[in-house]
Amino acid sequence: MDALHNLLLGFSIALAPINLFWCLIGVILGTMVGVLPGLGPAATIAMLLPLTLKMDHTTAIIALAGIFYGARYGGSTTSILLNIPGESSSVVTCLDGYQMARQGRAGAALGISAIASFVAGTVGVLGLMLIAPPLARFALRFAPPEYFALMVLGLTMVVFLAGESMIKALLAMFVGLWIATIGADLFTAESRFTFGQAKLLGGVDFIAATVGVFAIGEVMVNLEAQGGAEVFKLGKGLRNLLPTWQDLKDCRFAFLNGSLVGFFVGALPGAGATVASFMSYGIEKAFSRHPEKFGTGVIEGVAAPEGANNADAGGALVPLLTLGIPGGNTTAILLGGLILWGYKPGPLLIQEHPELFWGLVASMYVGNVLLLVLNLPLVPLFAQILRLPYYVLYPLIVGISIVGVYSVNNSLFDVWLMGIFGLLGYLMRKLDFPAAALILGMVLGDSLERALRQSLMMSQGDISILVTRPISATLLAISAGVLLLPLARKVRSWRVEAIERES
Amino acid sequence: MNVKIWMTPIAAVLVVALAAVQAQSQEFKPSKQIETVVHTGPGGGSDLFARAIAELLQKEKLINQRMQVVNKPGGGPAVAMSYLAEKKGETHTIGFFTGVWVTNPLTTTEATVTMKDLTPIVRLVLEPAVVAVKADSPYKTMKDFIEAAKKSPGQLRQSGGSVTSRDNLMRLLIQKATGTQWTFISFPSGGERLSNLLGGHVQMMVIEPQEAGEQIRAGNLRVIASLTEKRLASLPNVPTIKEQGIDVPVIPQARGVVAPPATSREEVQYWEGVFDRFAKTATWKQYVEQNQFEDGYLKGPALTKFFDELTVQMREVLKEAGAKVVR
Amino acid sequence: MGKYKADIVAAVCLALFGVYVISVASRLDYVSEVGPGPGFFPLWLGIGLVVFGAGLIAASFSRSPSGENATSWATAGRSLTGWLGLMVAVALLGKLGFALAFVLLTVFFVAALDRRPIFLALGIGVGLAVAFQLIFVVALDVSLPTGWFGF
Repeated sequence: MDALHNLLLGFSIALAPINLFWCLIGVILGTMVGVLPGLGPAATIAMLLPLTLKMDHTTAIIALAGIFYGARYGGSTTSILLNIPGESSSVVTCLDGYQMARQGRAGAALGISAIASFVAGTVGVLGLMLIAPPLARFALRFAPPEYFALMVLGLTMVVFLAGESMIKALLAMFVGLWIATIGADLFTAESRFTFGQAKLLGGVDFIAATVGVFAIGEVMVNLEAQGGAEVFKLGKGLRNLLPTWQDLKDCRFAFLNGSLVGFFVGALPGAGATVASFMSYGIEKAFSRHPEKFGTGVIEGVAAPEGANNADAGGALVPLLTLGIPGGNTTAILLGGLILWGYKPGPLLIQEHPELFWGLVASMYVGNVLLLVLNLPLVPLFAQILRLPYYVLYPLIVGISIVGVYSVNNSLFDVWLMGIFGLLGYLMRKLDFPAAALILGMVLGDSLERALRQSLMMSQGDISILVTRPISATLLAISAGVLLLPLARKVRSWRVEAIERES
Repeated sequence: MNVKIWMTPIAAVLVVALAAVQAQSQEFKPSKQIETVVHTGPGGGSDLFARAIAELLQKEKLINQRMQVVNKPGGGPAVAMSYLAEKKGETHTIGFFTGVWVTNPLTTTEATVTMKDLTPIVRLVLEPAVVAVKADSPYKTMKDFIEAAKKSPGQLRQSGGSVTSRDNLMRLLIQKATGTQWTFISFPSGGERLSNLLGGHVQMMVIEPQEAGEQIRAGNLRVIASLTEKRLASLPNVPTIKEQGIDVPVIPQARGVVAPPATSREEVQYWEGVFDRFAKTATWKQYVEQNQFEDGYLKGPALTKFFDELTVQMREVLKEAGAKVVR
Repeated sequence: MGKYKADIVAAVCLALFGVYVISVASRLDYVSEVGPGPGFFPLWLGIGLVVFGAGLIAASFSRSPSGENATSWATAGRSLTGWLGLMVAVALLGKLGFALAFVLLTVFFVAALDRRPIFLALGIGVGLAVAFQLIFVVALDVSLPTGWFGF
C-alpha cells in the first residue's frame, strides 16, 4: 500500500533524534501556551518563526505544528481547575470539567481530557493521512448555504445547554448573537452598536468576554460566602486523581464523537475548533442516557469537546496541506512559515515534497504520544493547585484572567470588557441564565449572519437556495429535528401532567 | 570674593550644556526594542509582511534592536491607527500600513485618525493583482468573462473582501467601463475566497499573483488579466487589463512604514537611512521577486504626495461605488 | 425577592433591551443592494428578545409566586463590592502598572473583604505579582500593563 510505504518513510524522518527533540520542544511549548489563557498558539508560532529559519524545514514544521496541536491539550487545564477557558475551544470544557473539579474529581477530568485528546488527535492524524485529498475536495463543496446550515445546526445545540428553562437559554443565546453584531459590518463597512468607540469596530474580543463570564463571574459568585464556601471538595485517594476504568468505558462514545466531529468540522475553512467542541458536546448530550446530568459534572461532557478540539487540529491541516488554503489564524501563520522557508503550499506540495508531509504526519503520531505521556503524570500535580486556600486562589484566578486577556491585543480596553462581562456572568448565574448559551451565540453569530447574507447574495435574494442544495438541506433538516426533540418531550410531559390532573 | 568656589559649579553647568547641545545634534539611534504595529492579527497579511521585513533587516544587520510586532486588529486599520496616534511624540514605535489605512477613514466615522495625522516614512512595495478564474471555466480572456456578464447581468459572481476593498473597487470600475454588472460576495478570509472559487461557487476573483501561483501551477486556476500597468514578469503571457481594451485606473495596494505624529526629524532620517540601505540589498530584491511584488520604494515629499493623490482617487471611486463617504 | 419575581424583572429588562436593539437596527439599512443589509439581523434579534422576554414574563406568572428556591440577594453586596474593587484596579492598571494594581486588589480582597490579617494579604499579593512578572514578562516575553514606575 502506497500510504504505508510513505508512512514508513515519514517515521524514519520523525524518529530522527533532531526531529524528536524539536517535536518534544514544540509540544511542551504548545501545552504551556494552551494552559495560559489569552496567549494563543498563533502568537507564539509567529514569534518563533524567525528562529526556524536556521533549521531544516521539516524539523521546523514539526516543531511549529507541535505547538499548534499541543495547545489543544493544555487548554483544558485552567478550564477544569479554575473555570478560565484557556483557549476559545475549551469554553465548553468549563461546563462539566469545572463541576467535576468542585466535586473533587479534578484529576479524573484532567486525565480524561488528556486521554480523549490523545485518541482524537490520533484519529485526526489518521484522517489526515488517509483521506486528506478527497476530504479537501468534499470540503470545497461547502459554499455559504452549507456554512449557514452548519451554523444553524450549531445553534440548535442551545437546546442541549438549556437546563431547566428553554426560554432563558434562548434569551441568553439572542444576547450572545447580538454581541456578535457589534462592530463594523463586513459587507457595507457600516458600524453597528459601537457607541462611537473605535475600539469596538472589530467587535467584542472573544477571550475578554469568555474569561469575564466564566472566570470573573465564578469568583464573584464565590465571594458571596465569607470564609469562602467549601468550593472544592478535595477527593481522597487515587480514584480521584485519575480516571477510572469505568470512566473510560463511559466515554467510549465520546471519544468517537469528538474525533469525528472535530476532524470534519476542522477540515472546513472558517469553521473553528470552538464550533466543533460545542457540537460534539451537544451530540454527546443528545445521545446520552442521562442528559439531564450534563452541566453538573459528567465526564463525557469533558471527553467529547476536548477530543473534538484536538481532532480539529488534524482536520485544519487538511486544507492547508492539500490545497494551500489556511482554515484559520494559526494555520495562516503555518502557511506564512512554509512560504518563508521557500515552499509553495498548494495542491502539489504533497507530491513534490513528500518528506515534508509524511514527516509531519508521522511526527504528529509521535507528538500525541509524547503529549499523553507528559500530561498524565502532571495531572495529580495540577490538581494540587486546588488545595490552595481560596484566598490565594481567587487573586490567582483574577490575576491570570487580567494577564491573559491583556496579552491578546495588549489592550486595556479588553480588560475593561472582561470586567463588564464578569458582572454579566454573575447576574446570569444568579438568575439562572445559562452562560454557555450566550457564548454559543457569540461564537456563531458572526458566521451565521455572514453565511446567510452571502447565500442570499449568491442567489440574488432567493431564499430557497438554502434548501435546494443537498448538503445544506440535509443539515437544516437535522437542525429541525434537533429543535423538535425537546418540544416533543415537552408535549409528552404536558399530556402526562394533564392526564394526571384529571384523574 | 573667592572665585575658586564658583569654578566647580560653573564647570558643571558648562559640561551639562555642552552635553545637551551635543545630544541635540546627534542622530537618532534606537536604544530599546522597536514596537512595530500592524492592523491584523497574527498570521494576517500585514503581520507576516512586518515579521518578514523585521527578519530581513536583522539578517542584513541594518538594525541593532529587536522589532517587536504588536497586533492591534479591529475595524480594519482603525484601532492600529488610533493606537499610533496616541503614541504621539514617542520614539521607538512604527506601523506598517497598507492601502486600507487610506480608504478606511473615508468611510468610517469612528476612524478619526487619517494618514495625514501620521508621519510617513517609506513605501516599500506595491502588490499587483490579477483576475483569476477556474481552469475549466469557459472564460479564456477577460473579454469572454465580460461578454458572459453582459448576457446574464448579475448572475456571475466574484468572491472578495469587504465592499471597500480593492477587489470590489476594481470590479466597480470595470463594470462602469464596460457597461456590465455581476455580483460581489464578501468573504473575510483569503482562504475562503479561494476555496469558493475552486469549488465553483463563484466564477472569478481578484487575487495576488503570489497566492494564485501554486494553484496555477497545479492547473486549478487560470489568470485572464493582470490589473497592472505593465505585464507581470512571472506571467508574461497574461495581457494587462488595458491591453484588453478595458481602460480603468489601476488601484495600487501599497505597503510601507509610518510613524506616530510629531516624530522628530532625526528619527525619520534614521529610518529613511535604514530603508535606503535595505532597498539596495540583494536580500530585498530576492524577497520582492519571490513574493511577486513590485518594488515601490518611495519616501519623503513624494510619499506624502502619493498618499494625497491616493486619498482623492479613493474618495472618487468610493462615491461611485455607492459607499457612504464621511470624510 | 422570590425567584420568579427576579425572573420577571430580568425578562422586562431584556424585552426593553430588545426594543432598544430594534430602534437602532431600524436606522440601519434593512436591505442593501446586495441582499440583507446591516439592519436585517439585529432587527430580528431585537424582535426575538422582545418575544421571548414576553414569553418569560408569561411563564413566570403561570408559576407559583412563592419564594421557593429564592435567589438570595442578601449576600450579593459582597460580590458587587468585590466587583467594584476589580473595576477600580483595572482603572488603575494604566497608571500604576499591573504589579501595584494587583497587589492593591489582593489586599482589598483578602484583608478588606475577607477580614484576614493585612500582612497575609500583602504577602499573597506581592508573591503572586512577582510570580506573574517572572513567568509572563521574563520567561514568556508577554507585556503587562506598566505604569509610572516602569513596571
